Amino acid sequence: MLKSKIGLTVIMLSLVAVSVTACASATPAPQTTSAPVKVVEKVVTATPAAAPKAGAVLINGAGATFPFPLYSRWFYEYAFVDTAVRFNYQSIGSGGGIAQITAKTVDFGASDAILTADQYSKAPGIQMLPTVAGAIVPIYNLKGDDGKVITDTIKFSFTALADIYLGKIKKWNDPVLAQANPNFKLPAKDIIVVARSDGSGTTFAYTDYLSQVSAEWKDKVGQGTSVKWLTGLGGKGNEGVAGTVAQNDGAIGYVEFAYAKQNKLAYGSVQNKSGEYALPTVEAVQTAMADFGTNMSDKLALSIANAPGKNSWPIASYTYLLVYMDQTDCVKGKKVVEFIKWGLSDDGAKFAKELDYIPLPAAVRQAVLDKLNKVTCGGKPL
Amino acid sequence: MITLNQAHFRRRKIVNAVMLALCGVATLLAIIPLVWILVYVTQEGGRFLSVQFFTDLPTPVGVAGGGVLNAIVGSGIVIGIACLIAIPIGIIAAMYAAEHPNTPLGIAVRFGTDVLSGVPSIVMGIFAYTVIVLPQKHFSAWSGGFALAIIMTPIILRTTEEMLKLVPRNLREGSLALGASEWKTTLQVTLPAAINGVVTGIMLGVARVAGEAAPMIFTAFGNPFLSAELDQPIATLPHTIYVYAISPYKDWHDKAWTTAFVLIALVLGLNIAARVFTAWRLKKMGWR
Repeated sequence: MLKSKIGLTVIMLSLVAVSVTACASATPAPQTTSAPVKVVEKVVTATPAAAPKAGAVLINGAGATFPFPLYSRWFYEYAFVDTAVRFNYQSIGSGGGIAQITAKTVDFGASDAILTADQYSKAPGIQMLPTVAGAIVPIYNLKGDDGKVITDTIKFSFTALADIYLGKIKKWNDPVLAQANPNFKLPAKDIIVVARSDGSGTTFAYTDYLSQVSAEWKDKVGQGTSVKWLTGLGGKGNEGVAGTVAQNDGAIGYVEFAYAKQNKLAYGSVQNKSGEYALPTVEAVQTAMADFGTNMSDKLALSIANAPGKNSWPIASYTYLLVYMDQTDCVKGKKVVEFIKWGLSDDGAKFAKELDYIPLPAAVRQAVLDKLNKVTCGGKPL
Repeated sequence: MITLNQAHFRRRKIVNAVMLALCGVATLLAIIPLVWILVYVTQEGGRFLSVQFFTDLPTPVGVAGGGVLNAIVGSGIVIGIACLIAIPIGIIAAMYAAEHPNTPLGIAVRFGTDVLSGVPSIVMGIFAYTVIVLPQKHFSAWSGGFALAIIMTPIILRTTEEMLKLVPRNLREGSLALGASEWKTTLQVTLPAAINGVVTGIMLGVARVAGEAAPMIFTAFGNPFLSAELDQPIATLPHTIYVYAISPYKDWHDKAWTTAFVLIALVLGLNIAARVFTAWRLKKMGWR
């Protein structure tokens, strides 16, 4: 009998052994050069080994879902730039990122939401570092009276979105919406409001915007990563909101611009603070960022919602990396700082644009670089 | 009188036919989801299957190609750790519970496993996070394996115990009568007689944990690179499916399906392999 039990164990062990051997044999040839040419060649041939040499430092980070596609691209490319380091980023949400960096189970965190005073005090020495910005767009699914899906860009006047989410505008043919959209007829259908049910940086930015345009919203609901919605349905994640909107005729929701664009969802135009109807273009978000300049606190956190500029897109936000100003592991600390500098350089910005993220304006970038130069390790400069 | 009997008989025949038909329909309904899932996953995931998918590491959005080698290896390692912990504990505890069912400890073991098997897997993940990840201050393959081991143990324990109980009493008594000690009887007579069921229990356990994504988020954490280091974060197949599925990109959605296909194929393959192995083993030992 003992034999058969040993046999069983052998199966299990061999399973592990096979895996381990597989890894060993798959260990890639060391990358000797980090020339950009090499990177391009790698991308074109899509070589499997994005791959660091054995013994490279592994740096773990976690947080926001919104910048995940960009960060995963950045870390993939950066493995060719610096072969001595590997970055592992897991998108567990902004709230999770803040919690994990506070518990110090990761080397860096990421969040779309600005930390609260309470969160700052629980993680003394934490620093927010903006990396890129993104837009949030209202999406809708609406069939006209003729039964056809309305493909025109619906315009939302200054407080229209707030009033819809407050439950004050209930029908698509409400005078407020009809007046803003004289070129086509909106049907007399109920508006089905869809919001994120999970804690999210997208919700933080969206409610930031709603609070700024509507005093009533600020008063009744306010701003946060998850708020107490007054009306409507919930969806988990961008995909949940998009799915719920897609399934309900007359639904309206909000998602990140990259998500709407990639999935070819119909999104609306929104009236900004100066009264113009803006579209979520790269330029419109850049203008919004420029409107606020570097008027940021020492933590480099800044809301760019409801920007005053004529061409500014009003629903946008920065996304941030979270690192401790005083690092405990000098090697990792140095690598993290080097990486962020690379991400903010033209090399990093190239990938951001490719994936519909908006790189930082020069002044903000300089503020981040200045801050990075002050990062220490055990009290000493890096 | 005769007609009455005939009517009664006919009624019974009709009831029988109706009930049989209902059973058939119920069986069919039970099989439909299985076939449906298999066909659908094969359709959606099979399309993008390639050799690279098994040999390459993941690529980010916008970079062609890419595979899930890291997750296949990672799942193997994490499940391996879980097996190393759960199989010995499960089987040995089951022996005790089967041999001494009415002792306080035997009752406690059975009650404990029943409660444990009802605990949601995400709770196991948080538990492993609290007792391993937080004190160590980093995510690791160990913590993932540990979380899965707690999910596996009650499954293995309960099936093994039931299987041991099914072994005829005479067999045990025969062994004892011939002078074998109690531990020898259990280990060399009872367990081999029940080995087929025990392996089934282990396979059920493996199949169950192989698809767990929730406890992996806060334990194994995930890792886009190939890693065999047990104290570092590691990728697993279900977690990879989760990450790909919630992304905004079609490319990643396709990869999620393909990964799902790979996961199902691996679990199915492992299952079949274990069954063939036991059959062969039993034949060799002269049990069948």
